[in-house]
Amino acid sequence: PPARPLICTTPSRAALFHPSPPPAPQPPSPRSPPSELPAHNPPPPPNHGGPRRRAWWRPRRRARRVRPRLRARRARGPWRAPRRSSWPPPGGGEVGARHQARPPRQGGPRFTKMEELYLHSLPIKEHQIVEQLCPGLKDEVMKITPVQKQTRAGQRTRFKAFVVVGDSNGHVGLGVKCAKEVATAIRGAIILAKLSIVPVRRGYWGNKIGLPHTVPCKVTGKCGSVTVRMVPAPRGSGIVAARVPKKVLQFAGIDDVFTSSRGSTKTLGNFVKATFDCLMKTYGFLTPDFWRETTFTKAPYQEFTDILAKPTKALMLDAPAEKIEA
Amino acid sequence: MAAAAGEAPRALSQKEQDIQMMLAADVHLGTKNCDFQMERYAYKRRSDGIYIINLGKTWEKLQLAARVIVAIENPQDIIVQSARPYGQRAVLKFAQHTGANAIAGRHTPGTFTNQMQTSFSEPRLLILTDPRTDHQPIKESALGNIPTIAFCDTDSPMRYVDIGIPANNKGRNSIGCLYWLLARMVLQMRGTILPGHKWDVMVDLFFYRDPEEAKEQEDEAAGAPEYAAITDYGAAAGQWGGDQWTSDAPAPPPVTGGEWPMAEVASL
Repeated sequence: PPARPLICTTPSRAALFHPSPPPAPQPPSPRSPPSELPAHNPPPPPNHGGPRRRAWWRPRRRARRVRPRLRARRARGPWRAPRRSSWPPPGGGEVGARHQARPPRQGGPRFTKMEELYLHSLPIKEHQIVEQLCPGLKDEVMKITPVQKQTRAGQRTRFKAFVVVGDSNGHVGLGVKCAKEVATAIRGAIILAKLSIVPVRRGYWGNKIGLPHTVPCKVTGKCGSVTVRMVPAPRGSGIVAARVPKKVLQFAGIDDVFTSSRGSTKTLGNFVKATFDCLMKTYGFLTPDFWRETTFTKAPYQEFTDILAKPTKALMLDAPAEKIEA
Repeated sequence: MAAAAGEAPRALSQKEQDIQMMLAADVHLGTKNCDFQMERYAYKRRSDGIYIINLGKTWEKLQLAARVIVAIENPQDIIVQSARPYGQRAVLKFAQHTGANAIAGRHTPGTFTNQMQTSFSEPRLLILTDPRTDHQPIKESALGNIPTIAFCDTDSPMRYVDIGIPANNKGRNSIGCLYWLLARMVLQMRGTILPGHKWDVMVDLFFYRDPEEAKEQEDEAAGAPEYAAITDYGAAAGQWGGDQWTSDAPAPPPVTGGEWPMAEVASL
């Protein structure tokens, strides 16, 4: 009996293939007949020898004309996630005020949560700070668009990556980066997304039972022509939004919300920036809970001015920061 | 307390003396335009179109600025800046006397925001001579949570300036006078100078000098020690006996720059 199941359209074909046993171990093609295939075999890796050969039993069809750029794109293979570097080092290395992951100084500023940075409006300059203060960050590439510039030698294509980063518990970040290679763009966008992390305020639709689950009030954000409006929803409604803002809201940690959008939402860049702007405004809205007078605490630069005045020891960093002469 | 040339019968308080000095330095003369946020500091518009600044308010804003400067525990966290040549010498002298850091000349963009630069610094306070010419540090301080004090003329934009001191920031005497006053107020509040006493540093030290003028002054200073040495020695010798100093005149007292040619001549 033949080692592998054959579906023969013509008996002559079967005769061709009968005598020779198939080469052992042959990973089954994903479109092969399903019956005797073990389910756990993964689909084969992209064929590095050339374009994918058409399975012989597939009927030959008139070849579809593929644009050269698209053919090249397919030949390169599907996008694979970049390999992460070993930074940040596990544990160790306290975070300084904002711009350097300083080794812990005696009595120096120590931050454990992002909220402490937001309280004093400290600008975040290094993404490793966010990685350490905000564990559980996940990122998602929303879109990679090729953008082109015309030069006298043709077009110069670059890839623009939109990445949303969030911990599903009140922190989101959005990063946009354009670079010559897709992987570089994605890496850069993830870094920018982490640098732009903002807190998201959640509230209740009705009775204050349990944890906040929706937006505290109606907020709207605008970018370009796209306006996104978020309206508080009762528990269990889920995120009622289009695919794009739904992703962003999931990363923000909002469970229920009604949305409404206007403008050219086809432009994903503006759509995603509009929802991000909307989420930023949740903490900008003055509600009666904030009517009480704020008791100010000392800014870290003032509190630790004596320690900051002393010169730092030589820092031990994996990659010493390159300085630009200015 | 010096009386004002016999016109005021009583002695002037220090505030009044300061205001007199500011009048002499033309601090009260604004420009022909007035920004709407500076209207509260303008007293009146003159017949030739120039706005007059209310110097009493200037003096009080100077006091407010001095209090803010004194509140910073580490004076090195203060940066005083001037891109304009008229303010550069004043800024340097101010920094020297109060312990701040001075940036004279071009402000490299990114000094307060680009952590990779060698000149990166995170000051706690920024003092500027003119919001219009020093607009770049203002923009960067807005990004870096740095409060800003600036000398604003009647037409200066007040955006992102936290304490604006209404004054004339166009004239060289005016800028020097203002920085001198501010430095003196800061030192008085710190307790380095006793209030009510004259500060022994002259205002002229803060005025801008043209390069030719600076050279002239240095030449004069070089010529002066020759005479100063002789008279000094003469004064010292006068203690022993006035008749002795003429014979001992050629021997120079130690260390004055202008003395060297004489010393060489004497040794030859």
